[in-house]
Amino acid sequence: MHNIASIDVEQDIIQANDKLAYENRRILDENNVFAVDLVGAVGSGKTSLLEKLIDEMEDDIGVIAGDILSKFDAKRIEDKNVPVKGLNTGKECHLDAHLVEHALPDIPLEDISILFVENVGNLICPADFNLGTHVRTVIISVTEGDDTAEKHPMIFKGADMAIVNKVDLADAVGADADKMVKDVKTINPDIPVVKCSLKTGEGVDEIIALYKKFQSKK
Amino acid sequence: MHELSMANSMVEAILDTAKKNDAIQVTEAVLEVGELTMLNPEQLRFMMDVLREDTILKDAEIIINMIPIEIECESCGFKGVSKTDEEMDHLMAVATCPKCDNTRVHIIQGQECNIKTIKIEKED
Repeated sequence: MHNIASIDVEQDIIQANDKLAYENRRILDENNVFAVDLVGAVGSGKTSLLEKLIDEMEDDIGVIAGDILSKFDAKRIEDKNVPVKGLNTGKECHLDAHLVEHALPDIPLEDISILFVENVGNLICPADFNLGTHVRTVIISVTEGDDTAEKHPMIFKGADMAIVNKVDLADAVGADADKMVKDVKTINPDIPVVKCSLKTGEGVDEIIALYKKFQSKK
Repeated sequence: MHELSMANSMVEAILDTAKKNDAIQVTEAVLEVGELTMLNPEQLRFMMDVLREDTILKDAEIIINMIPIEIECESCGFKGVSKTDEEMDHLMAVATCPKCDNTRVHIIQGQECNIKTIKIEKED
């Protein structure tokens, strides 16, 4: 005969990630670094936005660039001569707080004031994983279709700011950028949404101003 | 493959608890998965089945209880289960106040991915 026992586990996998995220936040705050989790689909313009911000912002920027396998994104940021750590998730579709925790020691936090964490290209899975950053930005582009926000509500529900990118292409692809802004606002009424074109530069100043505002409120 | 990392963490946590309690076999595991996690229970189950092969969790019954979305409305104060319209393609998972249609709501439950209890066998 074997003894049978029932054990209360009550262990939440998402809360376990949140604990690690809290520790990441503590490290960032100790070093006075303002951190942004940048999420968006494949091809939405995450890396292009970072390149633009590195050029336009006066702050010392560091980047953690998440990717499934390649180092392409990290290489593009490296070319801008800022500290960057490429993070490969292997088969996972999102970064989690544990992965970011391992990347932080490779970024000279004492030399930077803003850290951008470029998440893996995906609008679904990252929604569940807090990384410990101060702000989450979601970037979507008109070329993904103007129903993108409606189809991925949770990522907008948990975000602090949203960017609708490639608005210069809206007519060409038959998309309504204003509808996308409206949809994001329906899902998350308090979120600032910027219409942007990284090609023409439209909206970039507004994005930088928003980061300044968030950073001062940190 | 969000399900894979969740399944992996769950299997690890169950085996860890089982080991700490000197289990020789896990016979049941009860999980609670919130509807807002976007986890598909069938995929989660499939991933767990692959991951628990060759472990003491191999023959356990895995019970997955889906947790409905509960919200508190900022506008009208409603507290309870949020409406999800299965006929609707879009915005389906957004927590909306069933009383006043407001989307400025706090989510009380529906985001968890919890291992509730396990049943184990031990040596005498």
